[in-house]
Amino acid sequence: MPQARTTNARDLAFVPGTELVFGPQAARRRQVSDTIARVSRGWGFTDIILPSFDDRRTFEGGDAHDADLYRFMDREGRWLTLRADFTLIAAKALAVELRREPRTIRASYEGRVFRFQPSGHGARVEQSQRGLEWVNAPGTTFDAATLCIAGECLSALGLHDAVLVIGHAAFIGAALGEKGRGDRALLEALDHKNPARIHELAKRRGLDATRTELLARLPGLCGGPEVIALARTIAPEPEAAAALDELEALARTLRESGASLNVLYDLGEVRQFSYYSGMMFKVYHHGVGEELGGGGRYDRLFDRYGLDVPAIGFGFDLARLTEALPRTEVHGAASVASATAGQGAQGLKSLLEARGRGEQAILAGGA
Amino acid sequence: MLRIALPTGRILKDAERFLAAAGLPPAENLSQTRKLMVPSQCGRVEYLLVKPVDSPLYVEQGVAELGVSGKDVLMELAPDILEPLDLGFARCRMVVAGRPEIRRSLDNTLSPVRVATKYPRVARLHFEKSGVPSVILKLSGSVEIGAVLGLSHYIVDIVETGTTLRENGLVVHEEVAQCSARLVVNRAAFYSHLSEIGAILDAFKSALEKAHA
Repeated sequence: MPQARTTNARDLAFVPGTELVFGPQAARRRQVSDTIARVSRGWGFTDIILPSFDDRRTFEGGDAHDADLYRFMDREGRWLTLRADFTLIAAKALAVELRREPRTIRASYEGRVFRFQPSGHGARVEQSQRGLEWVNAPGTTFDAATLCIAGECLSALGLHDAVLVIGHAAFIGAALGEKGRGDRALLEALDHKNPARIHELAKRRGLDATRTELLARLPGLCGGPEVIALARTIAPEPEAAAALDELEALARTLRESGASLNVLYDLGEVRQFSYYSGMMFKVYHHGVGEELGGGGRYDRLFDRYGLDVPAIGFGFDLARLTEALPRTEVHGAASVASATAGQGAQGLKSLLEARGRGEQAILAGGA
Repeated sequence: MLRIALPTGRILKDAERFLAAAGLPPAENLSQTRKLMVPSQCGRVEYLLVKPVDSPLYVEQGVAELGVSGKDVLMELAPDILEPLDLGFARCRMVVAGRPEIRRSLDNTLSPVRVATKYPRVARLHFEKSGVPSVILKLSGSVEIGAVLGLSHYIVDIVETGTTLRENGLVVHEEVAQCSARLVVNRAAFYSHLSEIGAILDAFKSALEKAHA
């Protein structure tokens, strides 16, 4: 092998947080992605390939902060945004399809999303995701089925300890009230399950005692289906009650369908509040600190394209899923044929024959 | 067994007292041992002794399921973790301080103020919020000297009693936040060990109530 010539080390540096995966780790990543794709196909989903960037308006209204989007201008002076979210761009693509013919669509996607994060702390500015969108899919049975598909992906990967943590966007919306919904500091305090800070902010904002008490108890509304009943006692408004009815129906459907899922309810979940309108969930595994993926119902997202279409979906973070996997060997091909370049046409011929038999062919350098 | 990251340094003694009150005393005196990992007497948890600024990172990355960390450190690092309990000890204030006359001398000037601090993120966000252009100078300690000798107009730092500021001729100009020790929890661990972590939270809460009673 030729030795590397001296070069400027800076020429070899990548932008921090971009993805670079190679070797066994890449093979495992491929395996993860193939497994999810197989499960998706098993539930009748077909691939959708989506643009890597689009008009900046497509990515407005997601949970990425405006300042974290990668924007650039093309030669015609149009402002474009690198794909920051799959659901938002899939919704646009599927809206085109639905305007032609209203129907149920099962679409699965894979690719990267791009969001700025300050460097340090293992920040990642591009993330590979695989997920699916189920469009014209209203009601509890679709909610439950979506959770089952996510659960099947996890067990197919051998992640039997993974937990699906379920919340509800309309419940949290009702709990926050008109004023609270746009309050970034309050949402952050709820996201960190920090009752002391919730009390402090409620006082500063002049919220009444009932609202304050409700908000401060949200972090504790986490556990089995019994927390749904507990939530009823502290959040009696009709809007909240309707959301809790939905969750109760979901819990019942999961139980009666015999789905074996590792499920928790967290009614204080505010993270993906952006475009979700109903049931929402996140996936955690004890081996990885942050969520492996998540999803939910977004019945109002198509409004912006003049359509009234209930839909639900989820996405997995492929890097984190791979990190959570048990460290098993990725098996190579069963039989391998090899030849060296020095063997010339004869060597190549033997490899072509091996490929004809479906074997793996390895051409090496040297004599 | 759950792991709890504890910050060495000024918080440790208070933390140790608190853990004993909560029924989870360490098997050894944490302030004296040279070990970095010490189990609790009951064997339910294991304590990791780490640098104060590292405690949130251990928890965020899931090496420790729980941790104790000063609010000042949490504000600076902004880790993606849960912060369910104010433990009440190690109280202090994060403040903007400087020489008494400095505020007047800065009136009517648009040039950025220079701020020396161990907390560059906190300082930057604070001055951004106040609409004051600033240049942040990151120091590792003795930041008061910065303001005394004119390296910076202001410092952003934590104060407990204010003695250090007073003895160096500095005064508090603004309060940024009230700080104290916080219990922090890894997000995935919170859900995967819901009942065990719930039990620890309850033990800590009742220790706090006892202390207030």
